[in-house]
Amino acid sequence: MINEELKCVGICKSYKDKEVLKDINLTIEPNKIYGMIGRNGAGKTTLLSIMSAQNPATKGQVMLGDENVWENSKALANICFSREFGTNASASNITGYKVKDYLKIASMLYPKWDKNMADELVKKFRLDPKQKIMKLSKGMMSMVTIIVALASKAEYTFMDEPVAGLDVIMREKFYRMLLDEYTETGRTFIISTHIIEEMADIIEEVMVIKEGKLLMKENTQELLERSYHISGKAEDVKAAVTGFDAYHEEGFGRSKGITVVLKEGQKINASGDISVQPVSLQNLFVALCADED
Amino acid sequence: MNEILTQEKSIYIQISEMIENDIIRGIILEEEQVPSTNEMAKIYAINPATAAKGINILVDKGVLYKKRGIGMFVCKGAKEMIMKTRKNEFFDNYIKKLLDEAISLGISKEELIKMIAESKEA
Repeated sequence: MINEELKCVGICKSYKDKEVLKDINLTIEPNKIYGMIGRNGAGKTTLLSIMSAQNPATKGQVMLGDENVWENSKALANICFSREFGTNASASNITGYKVKDYLKIASMLYPKWDKNMADELVKKFRLDPKQKIMKLSKGMMSMVTIIVALASKAEYTFMDEPVAGLDVIMREKFYRMLLDEYTETGRTFIISTHIIEEMADIIEEVMVIKEGKLLMKENTQELLERSYHISGKAEDVKAAVTGFDAYHEEGFGRSKGITVVLKEGQKINASGDISVQPVSLQNLFVALCADED
Repeated sequence: MNEILTQEKSIYIQISEMIENDIIRGIILEEEQVPSTNEMAKIYAINPATAAKGINILVDKGVLYKKRGIGMFVCKGAKEMIMKTRKNEFFDNYIKKLLDEAISLGISKEELIKMIAESKEA
């Protein structure tokens, strides 16, 4: 077990003229499960690839304890980023491998590789080790990335949409496998996902990435306890939300609905005829991120 | 412990309420062990820290106690205590809401009392 924090210090990333990440500062504490959510193209995958030194930052550093992780094999032995398989031409080099060969390569990359675990998961997922990755279904490709992530035994393990293409039964199985591994080892996981609601109770902290910036990083349950949807007659709602961080206002005739995130010590004055409802993480995410369209 | 989690309340509150429900219904008995934080995390697919928060509420209330190195157990007298607390909260949790809805529908107190008196359950 290592007990060092993983830190992003002023991470910026640009591809030609396009700024993908804008001054990301964040600290990942050991022994936690983190969720990373954001819209398509928000920069999640780029950030995870920089944090695992698979991709150089344009500016800024990623530090594990006191060590910069870039080209630092000692630090990187503790970090695994199990990527999704791409479909572009450059990905065909990788997807041309058979499942067993891909896992063999992974076993050489990750010094703590657990071969028994990998073999068991291949059986559990009913994957054919001789099959080429490109011939697998989307869900089966996700299974391969899950095997790499779990069997890597890396202290810091990042997973990029591990449940994409998996049916609901497999997704639930994956969540339980993840919790099994976490409760047994205390490894730190960062998991990006678009299926927000299913992960909301599993992730201890949530990071929201919006247009290349870290919009928030909070304890999931505490954040939800401070978040409400307020609706009713437009003027009553307006009066009730004055002074709060309010998002995603929607109106319909005389009625209005709005999502608020209270700061410490703030309380909603529920006088008047307004409805105050708890929100799900997915509701909140939509409120935070949908306004740009 | 087989209830389903909803989105209406915080998960850790639901966890503590489920354990209480099981104690009231005699599904878990006094001086019996309850599942560990990690077991609960896996049963409900929730973060162990959240499960621990739910259990800690019950420890603070005096419903559960810790046996060192073994786990969490139901306190003696827990059932009676939970029922007493819930009776005290009954007005705020149920009657108040009932009255609010009755007022907005224009149901009078007399009508309400009549409904309760005539219902089969009471």
